[in-house]
Amino acid sequence: MKVFENYHPIVLFIYFISVLVIAMFETNPVILGLTLLGGVLFALLLVEKKRFVKDLVMILPFMLLVALTNPLFSHNGVTPLFFLNGNAVTLEAILYGIDIAAMIMAVIYWFKCYQEVFGSDKFLYLFGKIIPKVALVISMTLRFIPLLRRQYKKIADAQKCLGMYEDKSIIDKAKVVMKNVSILITWSLENSVDTSMSMKARGYGIKGRTNYHNFKIHKMDKILLIITLLMDVTVFTGMITGNTTFWFYPEITAIKTTLLAFTSYLAHAVLSFTPFIIELKENLKWKYYVWKI
Amino acid sequence: MEILRVENLDFTYPDSKTKVIDDISFSVNEGEFIVVMGESGCGKTTLLKCLKKEIAPHGEKSGNIIFSGKNIEEMEQRESAASIGYVLQRPELQIVTDKVYHEMAFGLENLGLSVEEMRLKVGEMASYFGLDKVYRSDTDTLSGGQKQLLNLASIMVMSPKLLLLDEPTSQLDPIAASEFIATLQKINRELGTTIIIVEHRLEELFSVADKVMVMDSGKLLMNNAPKTVATKLKGHKMFAAAPTAVRIYQSLDVNCECPINVREGRNFLQTHFGGEKIRKSSIGNVRENIIENEKQGEKDVKSELELQICENKANTKKETSIKPGAKLVLQDIWFRYEKHTPDVLRGVNLTINEGEIFAILGGNGSGKTTTLNVALGLLNPYKGKVIINGKPIGKYKSAKLYKNNLSVLPQDPQTLFTEKTVELDLMQAIDISGEAVKKVHKEVEKEVEKTEIATTKLSQVQINKISQQLGIKHLLQKHPYDLSGGEQQKVALAKILLRNPKVILLDEPTKGIDSCAKEELSSIIKELSKSGITVVMVTHDVEFCAITADRCGLFFDGNIMSVTTPTKFFNVNNFYTTAASRMSRDIFDGCVTVNDVVNACVNNLQ
Repeated sequence: MKVFENYHPIVLFIYFISVLVIAMFETNPVILGLTLLGGVLFALLLVEKKRFVKDLVMILPFMLLVALTNPLFSHNGVTPLFFLNGNAVTLEAILYGIDIAAMIMAVIYWFKCYQEVFGSDKFLYLFGKIIPKVALVISMTLRFIPLLRRQYKKIADAQKCLGMYEDKSIIDKAKVVMKNVSILITWSLENSVDTSMSMKARGYGIKGRTNYHNFKIHKMDKILLIITLLMDVTVFTGMITGNTTFWFYPEITAIKTTLLAFTSYLAHAVLSFTPFIIELKENLKWKYYVWKI
Repeated sequence: MEILRVENLDFTYPDSKTKVIDDISFSVNEGEFIVVMGESGCGKTTLLKCLKKEIAPHGEKSGNIIFSGKNIEEMEQRESAASIGYVLQRPELQIVTDKVYHEMAFGLENLGLSVEEMRLKVGEMASYFGLDKVYRSDTDTLSGGQKQLLNLASIMVMSPKLLLLDEPTSQLDPIAASEFIATLQKINRELGTTIIIVEHRLEELFSVADKVMVMDSGKLLMNNAPKTVATKLKGHKMFAAAPTAVRIYQSLDVNCECPINVREGRNFLQTHFGGEKIRKSSIGNVRENIIENEKQGEKDVKSELELQICENKANTKKETSIKPGAKLVLQDIWFRYEKHTPDVLRGVNLTINEGEIFAILGGNGSGKTTTLNVALGLLNPYKGKVIINGKPIGKYKSAKLYKNNLSVLPQDPQTLFTEKTVELDLMQAIDISGEAVKKVHKEVEKEVEKTEIATTKLSQVQINKISQQLGIKHLLQKHPYDLSGGEQQKVALAKILLRNPKVILLDEPTKGIDSCAKEELSSIIKELSKSGITVVMVTHDVEFCAITADRCGLFFDGNIMSVTTPTKFFNVNNFYTTAASRMSRDIFDGCVTVNDVVNACVNNLQ
């Protein structure tokens, strides 16, 4: 059961943008760690278990590669661990590599969650507000892709059963595909007349077109929006005042322990774990309701 | 109150001399349900389009069309779009957007309504049409019937006063079609919407309509109550399209009111031809015997029994036990589309003999078309064997299977056309080195030398022959897409016949074609079967099956059940049977077609 996707698209969009912006502009390991953990945990609830493991197996080696590549090419830092071909491999470079890998992984996972939560209807709603025509074109494209795919299959079958084309070599096969595509194009051009007629008959082209959507702003949307904005302000204050600033080169800076720094970490923790907590809470509630039945 | 008045309407397409609409005048009252009938190309679609300003065809037009006291040319855009709704023939192509709710709101968006207003109207209509369960689905996942309902619903949200429909049920299966017509009736009764519908499936519409208009080459021939039209229709080409009851009544010389549906037809038969003595005369068996004798000669009188034995033998999975005459054999076929989906075919056994016309009937999604695709080698069963012409399907190498052997007429004939004109298209289908050309070659060898010119000449001879046979000579120079549904079907059939097949599979051959074309197609198929070609068809059309097939079987639960002759088959069935059979049930035995019933009645009078 997905609950987070029931929020209003604008609220969701602001939420995802703020998490991603912070993840991409912040090198502080605490903040990155929190972002990564929040993203992975959220994905764990959204994605099927099997696929989650599969993805993890794909991503981890790649991240390892990123983490190891950095010290091989960057020799900054003041703590050499050993020398490779006369070049120093430094502790700072290794840690920075891990940091970068964590950042990329966090962004990947948050995009994954975005994809799960943000259906085509939400996307269209957002962009329909900005450019209505483009939104309609996208919607029509989404409608005609499966139609054309199905028609292509029909054409390919029908032409195959005519038995006029050999399919022994690649060239033969390519010829058949070309022929089929040309039939498909003729078909769609001839038949798009129906579609345009159906649009005209329903008044397409009259000035003052509006956009329909199924979204309403509820109380929960307002709450999530306020939380997101409050946490954003706190984290950004921390960032701008330099309380969360962190340097790897030339020397690793200490993680600051000022009150504002801690407040920022806390705010970012709230921001990163909110979807996970919402999802978990609703899932447990749901299980409880089911159990009651 | 009058809602629509057409005065002396004339219409000519550009670059054409003949008038498509020739001086038509009529008037429609509010809340009327009007059915327009006529042959393909008689101008009924053009007339319908002229009534809607936005999609009116280009051409020379004269006369007036007055809608609610206003000439439609002077109507405001917004008003015109909302108050006259138009539904087209093919459900698939009218859908514009990807989500059901968006599709329903499309018209309202164009009118510029606020989201709140739209939400109310869309929600209301979705529940009225029973589309609430699929409200958030992708439009592509709906069935054909649901798609057409969605098209209707997305027009009804704009609350039109007049609804124009152009053959809306021609692409639907019978059950979805009945549902659609019932919905129209509901709209007409409950919302008072005026309806004008062009249709060639008239079995149910006659009893729903207030008025029937008959059109013939651009002229309005009749415009009257259904019963009046029914009595006047005899002798006209459109008589073939009339409901069964009307056709039976008209073929008998009885002086009473004309019945227009099955119920009235039963009453009619009961009052005039009922009685115990006729009932027992068992006309159907006589007919059956005649057919069997004609078809298979005396030696096959016991064919039923033999086939049974043959099928049993097939069950034992021994190739050697296949009867020599068997052209297409399916042995214990099991098929599913994906690993974890249920079986679609569950041990299908079927033996089809040479020169036979076999029909597979069944509901939507019962696996009929899947069976056809398995027989064609397009789908591979995970268990079982397909034997074509005595050779397992796997032993044919690539395109060999489809050369001089097996052909299919797909549901959508447009998938076959590749060229600009019908003639070029047919030319392309001729296999220059193929068997058929060699045969023709021998015939004309003396006259023509074996040169390249000769080859084109040979193709010409073949095309001439086939186009004469199917009656498509006048279409050779046209673009295949410009033809009517029935004509496209015939051209497609010609194309596959040029491949010189021994076995032809037909997938829903009567979809979207009118009753005249149906009768023609039926006689063409019978001709083919006489010349030794084996025909297997998958169809919903029980009436067509009753007049065409030699044997038929019902597909249900992944298997073919009760394979027998149409007469026996339709006599046993209560619902899945022809209107003639439903009408004459318990009055006559074994009557399946209109002719059967008429013969029974005539015999009865003697």
